[in-house]
Amino acid sequence: MTVTDWVFLAVAAVTLFSAYRVVVSRKIMHAALWLGLTFFGVAGIFLLLGADFLAAAQVLVYVGAVTTIIIFGIMLSTPEELRGPSPEAGSDAASSAAPTRRSFLPLVTAIGFAAVMVALVNRGEWPSPPGSVSTDTPRLLGEALFTRFVIPFEVASVVLLVALVGAIALALKEESGQ
Amino acid sequence: MDMFTAMHNGLVQMGVPLWLANLVPPLVKSLILLLFILLNCMFLIWMERKVAGHMQRRMGPMRTGPHGIIQSLADVIKLISKEDIIPSGVDRWVFVLAPIVAFAPAFAVFMVIPFGPTLIAQDLNIALIFIAALTSFVVISFLMAGWSSNNKWSLLGAMRSTAQLISYEVPLVISVVAVALLAGSLSLQEIVEAQRQSFWYILVQPLGFLVFLTASLAELNRSPFDLSEAEQELVAGYNTEYSGMRWALLYLTEYANLITFAAIASTLFFGGWSGPVLPPVVWFLIKVYFFIFLVMWIRWTLPRIRVDQLMELGWKGLLPLSLVNLAFTGVYVLIR
Repeated sequence: MTVTDWVFLAVAAVTLFSAYRVVVSRKIMHAALWLGLTFFGVAGIFLLLGADFLAAAQVLVYVGAVTTIIIFGIMLSTPEELRGPSPEAGSDAASSAAPTRRSFLPLVTAIGFAAVMVALVNRGEWPSPPGSVSTDTPRLLGEALFTRFVIPFEVASVVLLVALVGAIALALKEESGQ
Repeated sequence: MDMFTAMHNGLVQMGVPLWLANLVPPLVKSLILLLFILLNCMFLIWMERKVAGHMQRRMGPMRTGPHGIIQSLADVIKLISKEDIIPSGVDRWVFVLAPIVAFAPAFAVFMVIPFGPTLIAQDLNIALIFIAALTSFVVISFLMAGWSSNNKWSLLGAMRSTAQLISYEVPLVISVVAVALLAGSLSLQEIVEAQRQSFWYILVQPLGFLVFLTASLAELNRSPFDLSEAEQELVAGYNTEYSGMRWALLYLTEYANLITFAAIASTLFFGGWSGPVLPPVVWFLIKVYFFIFLVMWIRWTLPRIRVDQLMELGWKGLLPLSLVNLAFTGVYVLIR
């Protein structure tokens, strides 16, 4: 094993462990922070694969923006919304469903997803790693995005814009409804 | 850097395993950078108190050493020897980790800052994005500190600074993108090189620089944007519950970010290390200290603005300005 392999193992272990903690953390704030670490681990894996631009974008967008927005969302929610119905106050159906929701369903989902992924990985034909990767990744990415993939790129921008306008419209509606 | 290549080769010849020899130069570089940050921050704390004092017609620290020059050293010794207090109501792990999460990116950013033609830890060709990505961490550390303190003042301070950081990050990054467009590169070293071959970008980016300066002041949580630590309303903001070394680390982060801002401002708009006669490092430090002084000057001259004014300035003032600037820069680059 080379040093890169060891580093990969360490980064992957951190990523997986923090992803696990996201699911099992009882405090939702901790779950959000673990999620930030998961995103960071993914950025580390991108970096190991030589995708430095992608890694930086991952940190910028996911760790910097998405995690912050999630934490903001948590902080602006009321404690009742966060804790869910407390055991004594909750209805019978909710309290009896809770253990199942916590352990059984996620497990089935995870195993199912893992099975699909393993099947896909085994099926795919993986190209051999390219001999020399240019270090000028921003230029390559920019050229690809604005020539060959310009239409998907623009469509993605429009989708984001629509989401932005939609979010504002929803927030305004709530405000006037109160 | 040749010195580090020599160090690496020497270690390999001495029979040190290759992976270990590969690790040594980066570690030495990090140590040098860490030392640079620590010493400069100590000096800056003294300088800030002196500047504040003289602007208010008093002397500032005078007792410890000539003109109080070793006051910061005394403070460091005091802070290190203080009892490590973790208040009982806090979320322990998050509370302990927050200062580290704050300092680590502030330190890592120094990796890509060019101090001279060859004096740079690692010249990344995505340096600007790297800096933007790392500085976005600050928000999370504030939220961690504010939330885990279990104190309403801390939480309010953290919320304020986060709202502020998110609003001002957008115009900041857009004003930086205009510079990258002009230079045709995201690497700080190449941006300096491009300015050496033409002119300082402040000449064609005055608007961009103003947006950058204003947004940076907000990012640094400095007056007139220091709402997160408005003493009259919030005690001390997100770091209210911190004391001793942990508080020192948060304070250190603030000053490290100040140096980063000054270094980036002089690199992007004022030709970085380039300049006549004097060696590049000296030019770089002169420019950096000029901007640090400018920020202190602003802090001790202007009053604090209100929260609503802060948001309005960010979204209705700086963002459109930075977009206009970017559009004009694009046109300029095309017809150049």
